[in-house]
Parts: sequence; structure tokens; C-alpha cells
Amino acid sequence: MIDVRALVLAYPSQSALDAIGFAQRASEQVSITVLTTRGGEKYSYRGVEKVIVANVEDPTPDQLAGLLEKTFSSYDIVVAPSSKDSTDALARLSALKNLPMFTEVNHLEPSGDGLVVTRPVIAGRAYVTYSTRVPAAFTVAKKAFPPQSADHEPDVEEIEAPPASMVRVGVEEKKFSGVNIEDAEVVIGVGRGFRKKEDIAMAEELARLLNGAVGCSRPITADLGWLPEDAWIGISGKRIRPKLYMPIGISGAPQHMSAAIDSKLIIAVNKDKSAPVFQYSDYGFVIDLYKLLPALIEKLKQRKRT
Amino acid sequence: MNIGVLAKASIDPNMVRADSEGNILLESMPLALSEYDKNALEEALRIKQEKGGKVIVLSALTWGPTSKRLREAEQVMREALAMGADEAHLIVDEALIPGNPLTTSLALKALVEKIGGIDLILTGEGSMDTVSYQVASRMAALLGYPVATFARRLELLDGRVRVTRDLETRLETVELPLPAVISVTGEINKPRLPTLLQIRRAMSKPLNKYTLADLGATVEQAHVEVKEMKLLRVARKQVLIEESDPEKAADKLIEILENEGILK
Ligand SMILES: Cc1cc2nc3c(=O)[nH]c(=O)nc-3n(C[C@H](O)[C@H](O)[C@H](O)COP(=O)(O)OP(=O)(O)OC[C@H]3O[C@@H](n4cnc5c(N)ncnc54)[C@H](O)[C@@H]3O)c2cc1C
Ligand SMILES: Nc1ncnc2c1ncn2[C@@H]1O[C@H](COP(=O)(O)O)[C@@H](O)[C@H]1O
Repeated sequence: MIDVRALVLAYPSQSALDAIGFAQRASEQVSITVLTTRGGEKYSYRGVEKVIVANVEDPTPDQLAGLLEKTFSSYDIVVAPSSKDSTDALARLSALKNLPMFTEVNHLEPSGDGLVVTRPVIAGRAYVTYSTRVPAAFTVAKKAFPPQSADHEPDVEEIEAPPASMVRVGVEEKKFSGVNIEDAEVVIGVGRGFRKKEDIAMAEELARLLNGAVGCSRPITADLGWLPEDAWIGISGKRIRPKLYMPIGISGAPQHMSAAIDSKLIIAVNKDKSAPVFQYSDYGFVIDLYKLLPALIEKLKQRKRT
Repeated sequence: MNIGVLAKASIDPNMVRADSEGNILLESMPLALSEYDKNALEEALRIKQEKGGKVIVLSALTWGPTSKRLREAEQVMREALAMGADEAHLIVDEALIPGNPLTTSLALKALVEKIGGIDLILTGEGSMDTVSYQVASRMAALLGYPVATFARRLELLDGRVRVTRDLETRLETVELPLPAVISVTGEINKPRLPTLLQIRRAMSKPLNKYTLADLGATVEQAHVEVKEMKLLRVARKQVLIEESDPEKAADKLIEILENEGILK
């Protein structure tokens, strides 16, 4: 096994622990440096050798890339959480330094003088295992690499951030509901089969009756804005693993269903018998949701009363 | 104003094939134009309507064997041409197979330089098969251009482009000087469907093919080796209930919930 010097880009800083967990598994002999931005120090990255804090509060991706370039030379691997901006920054560094890069890695094994990593492919339907040399860059899947705790207090070093070349002319914060579909035991999935925003009330009612939460397909949130984005299930949204997932009016695109593959039980409702969602389901109800849901809700209410 | 659109002939994730051990049978899975590359192309066509210039499709074949896949890749190029692109340029070279973002970007960068005169490069946010979210950023770094990823709104100003990036917690509007690389989200527009006439016309539009040697490019084999590619499989009961009476269907569903221990 080789000695590995790891540089972890802690951006956003609160999701850096997965990346540290990845680095810890890269070798028995690993030394980790965390590169963070102002405010990131407060996450006290225990067990790492060194924390480099750049004097920038809200970096643009080109600043992150510039910081990586400045610090990269003495490291074997560069690791980051799989956020959009850190992926962008890592990809720029990888291009300039001719590094292979792997996004959303969910498994890692040291091997000889390189690493063996696994990541999703074919819209999440499959996984691919690569062996790669180092130096290389990686972004890590959420929760895939819980960090081991350690006592070591890191040295802290400050560096100057390069000036931003991307000019921000406006920022609009998104609104979230705060509902946590990732840990919910029952998730009701809303898809394009719902014809208007108000009709989602049926899914919400059903979720209440089953002590569950409402999730949705990408178009319902990203395109139509009918639900906040924390309800987004899929490879570009959240992974869920409930006891019961009920996709309703969802066609069952691989990008959606592969993020629900860990559900214990899947019961789909779709009026089209040939909808792909049925291939991913334990039980498939071929019926118009506008007919089934009112009847189902009424019966569940009655059942509660008695 | 010439716009380059990166369009990938991707493995179609709706057509998964695997053997009994779950090994993915890549060669029997068809290629299709990557979903969000259609949005990139639509955006380019929209800008062209306003500003004139050409829409140039750029692609590198990354799934082999090239002898078998060439026809399919050409078909994907024809689809992009039918949507309204003016010309297509396709790199076909065994050295790019199987593709990875490192080698793909080096090849596409060489192609952009070979063609010349491209002011704006648009890509999809991620490719439909490998979804690696890298090629736009890599291309920009290699070309020395600025880049903005995940654009859900794009506006051309004088010599600049204004882009609203769709990030995890916010929408962020930024301005970049041209030439630039922009990756677009699936929400930026609704891609048009080509008409029959356009499909027929696409057959006579220019489709140029290159090897890496034609581009004066070499790609180093990146010491990345694919060890295995396997289907994620979960056994599902796949029981279909075709009960059109809502009352009966609801009863059936409740019975299932009880039997499965969801309702007590
Ligand atoms: C790179 C990439 C990433 C993506 N990421 C995601 C992701 O993270 N999450 C995601 O969800 N998608 C994602 N997508 C999009 C995905 O491919 C699909 O387009 C999307 O999931 C479709 O959403 P839908 O099922 O709600 O809509 P549709 O596909 O339009 O399906 C609607 C369904 O409702 C049914 N229906 C209609 N009316 C009724 C009725 N009255 N009663 C019952 N059924 C009815 C129809 O039969 C149909 O099956 C991604 C795509 C790409 C290319
Ligand atoms: N082989 C390719 N040929 C043309 N364009 C590509 C290729 N690979 C990736 N791209 C472009 O880069 C985008 C992002 O791809 P990726 O980095 O693989 O997720 C895609 O949506 C395409 O626009």
C-alpha cells in the first residue's frame, strides 16, 4: 500500500466530512490537508494534519479552482463533496493537471500503487468499478464514507484567495420545506400525472395518513416549482430508502427510480399499463390517480376512526 | 456568432441489457442523443435566430467498437442536424474508447481549435449515461475560457453572456466574457421536435469525421481501467393490479399495506 497525501476541498464546508472519510480510507498511511474558506474553520476537522483557510467568504468556482491549483502540487489525491461548485472546481484542476476524475464515488479500495473506486453509471441503473493511478480527483457520494473520529488537532494556515473572475450580479436564495425525505419511513412520490399544483394536496393527505413525507420527480420541482427542491427524488436530487415508496403519476425514468432502489417496498400508481415504473415495483396499480386517491384517502380515514 | 454544441451519443439508460450475472452488455445497448444536450442545442438555435451565425455540433464517439457504433453515432449527429444545427463534426478513434472525461475533453478541445471561430460552447449539465458533470469545466480550462455550469437562463449581451446558475441552495446570476463554455440544465427550455422535412434535409447537411491524427491530437491512456460494470438489481414482486373500480382498488391497496406491515 502506498502513502497517500490527500487534499480535501471542504466546500461547502458542512458537507466535507464525507470527503474526509473517503481520504481516510485511501490508505493506511494517509495524511490529510483540508482546504476551506472563511467560516469553514469552525467545523474543526479533527484528525487531519492541516487546515488551510482561504480569506474568502463566498467563493466563486473559479476562485475554488484557483485555490486548488495553488495548493495541489504536493498531493496524490484531491477529494471534495459532490456539490455543483466543487465538482466544477475539481474538473478545472483535473483538466489543467491532466488528472483522471471520478464524480459521486460510493466505494473505495486501495490497490497496489493506485485506487479502485466505484461510481454509478447508466443513470444510476448500474455501477462501474475503475482502477486508477494517482494523482487523481474524486467527488464523493453523500453518506458513503462516514469519517472515523480522531483526536489530532490540525495546524491552521491561512492563504490568500485569487480574485474572482466570474462576476455575480444577482443571488436568489431557494425556499425549502425542511421535510426530510431521506430518512422518512413512507414516501409518497408526486409526478407529472398530477395535473395541477392544488392536486398535490391529495398526496399530502395520503402522506399524513401513512405517517410519511411527500417527494416528487424532477419536473414537479425543478421545472414547475410545485414543491420545494428538498422533495426532489433522483440522481440529481435525493436518494431515499423508506419502508414504503409510492410513486404516483410517475413514469419511472431510470434517473428517478435508481435513487429509490433501496426502498423496502414499492407500490406504484399509474394509468398507463406499460409505464416503466411497474418494472421497479412490488405492486403496480393500473388506474387513474384521480379515481384511486379520493377513494383510498376516504377509506384510510374511516379505518383511523374505527 | 458561432455556437458550438457538445452532443454526446450516449448509452440509452432506458434500454439496459445485462447477462444473468448482472454484467452490463454494453454492446447490445443502443446509443441516443444525450437528453440535456438537446436543451443545449435548442438554446443555441434560439440564440442563432436572434443573432445569426452557425450552430456547430461537436461530438466524440466514446463507446465501441467503432466499426459497430459509427452508424449509430452518425444517426445521433443527423438527429441534431434535423433539429436545426448547420453542421456536425464527429471524432471517431479507438483511443477514445471507452471514453472518460479526461480523454474526451482533450479530443473535443482539439476539435474546437481545428474548426476555429467558435464564440460560445454549450453543453448539457451532465451526460445521460456517465453523468460525470465534468466535460464543460474541463473544456473551459483546456481552452482558457471562463465557464458557468448549470445554466437555467442564458442571455447574450454585448460580448458577454449573462447566465442564471441553478445551484443547490440558490439561483446565482453571473456574467462572463465571450468566448465561454456554458452547461445548461434540462429546465432551460423545451427542445423542439424535428419535422419530417427537417429530418430529410438533415441528410444533406455537412457531417465531418476525424481521427485524433486528423486533429493533431494524442491522448495518453489515462491509467484508468474499467474493471466491471454491473446492473444494480433488486428483486421486485412486479404484481400488476388492473382493477378499474376505485373502491375495490383502494381496498386491495389497504390489504397490501396491512399484509406488508405498513398499516397496523
Ligand atoms: C441527467 C439527468 C438527470 C435527471 N435527474 C432526475 C432526477 O433526479 N429525478 C427525476 O425525477 N428525474 C430526473 N430526470 C428526468 C427523468 O428522465 C424524467 O424526465 C422524469 O423523471 C419524468 O418525471 P415524471 O415521471 O413525473 O413525468 P412523466 O415522465 O411525464 O410521467 C408522467 C406519468 O404519469 C402518468 N399519468 C398521467 N396522468 C395520470 C393519471 N391521471 N393517473 C395516473 N397516472 C397518470 C403517465 O402515464 C406517465 O407515466 C433526469 C434526466 C436526466 C437526463
Ligand atoms: N463524447 C462526447 N461528445 C460530445 N459531447 C460530450 C461528450 N461527453 C460529454 N459531452 C458534453 O458534456 C456534457 C457533460 O458530460 P459529462 O461531463 O460526461 O457529464 C454532455 O451533456 C455533453 O454536452
